Amino acid sequence: MPNKKNVTVKILLLLLLSDILETFIHFCFKKSVLTQADFMVRTLSDAFTFSKAAFSSPFMWAGLMAVAVIFIVWSTILSKIDLSVAIPIASFSYIFVPLTSLIFLHEKISALRWSGIFMILAGVILVFLSSHNKKSGFL
Amino acid sequence: MKINILFIIFLIFISSLCDVIRELSLKSAINSLNFNVDGIKKVFIFIMKVIALPKAWMAFVFSILSLLIYLFVLSKADLNFAFSLDSMHYVLIAIASHLILKEKFEISRWLGTILIVLGIIAVSMS
Repeated sequence: MPNKKNVTVKILLLLLLSDILETFIHFCFKKSVLTQADFMVRTLSDAFTFSKAAFSSPFMWAGLMAVAVIFIVWSTILSKIDLSVAIPIASFSYIFVPLTSLIFLHEKISALRWSGIFMILAGVILVFLSSHNKKSGFL
Repeated sequence: MKINILFIIFLIFISSLCDVIRELSLKSAINSLNFNVDGIKKVFIFIMKVIALPKAWMAFVFSILSLLIYLFVLSKADLNFAFSLDSMHYVLIAIASHLILKEKFEISRWLGTILIVLGIIAVSMS
């Protein structure tokens, strides 16, 4: 039985890739519905019209393509580590988005946001360490 | 006209629940395969085996469901608000992994998960 539950550098890179894809998917889906923010969905046929408009956006299709790729990456990750480790570690996209807007868009990061970033980082490190078998070496 | 905020919260909760079911069924499908994935060729065979499993399709159906609800929520609510509420699925998945998948937890894993949720809320709210 393949019982290698430790998070290796390779798995961390895969988690990083899935995070980047996840961010990209969020961006695409938001873009695809942004044009119809005022649309009121009251009935089922409204919902159908809404979905039809969303699916006519190229962003929607780019997002769906990324979903297929993320499925392959994510399945590979899950074959190697616990779900309760993979999910929390995958949360570092919440750190990337503010940091990239700091570096590339020169946005200011508030004190509350910094404290949030550090909490996420501390949480990820805790979960990461909890996945490590004491007997086996680090990484 | 404004949609009731409670209704939005309810929808985000349902979408989170769909996410939990998706991750659980996918993980349990992969666990049942017991396949050692190493190398690109093996990844291909592995994915073929995964998509042959009914549980993987259940995961797919719940992804679509979650996506549709989330799309609707995004068109109505602020992304930050949606993100911070959606972070509750971290805790739900941790509980479900422990109870259903029988994953062994140390205190540090619980603590880490809770810290992440608090962090996400702080990042989203500011």
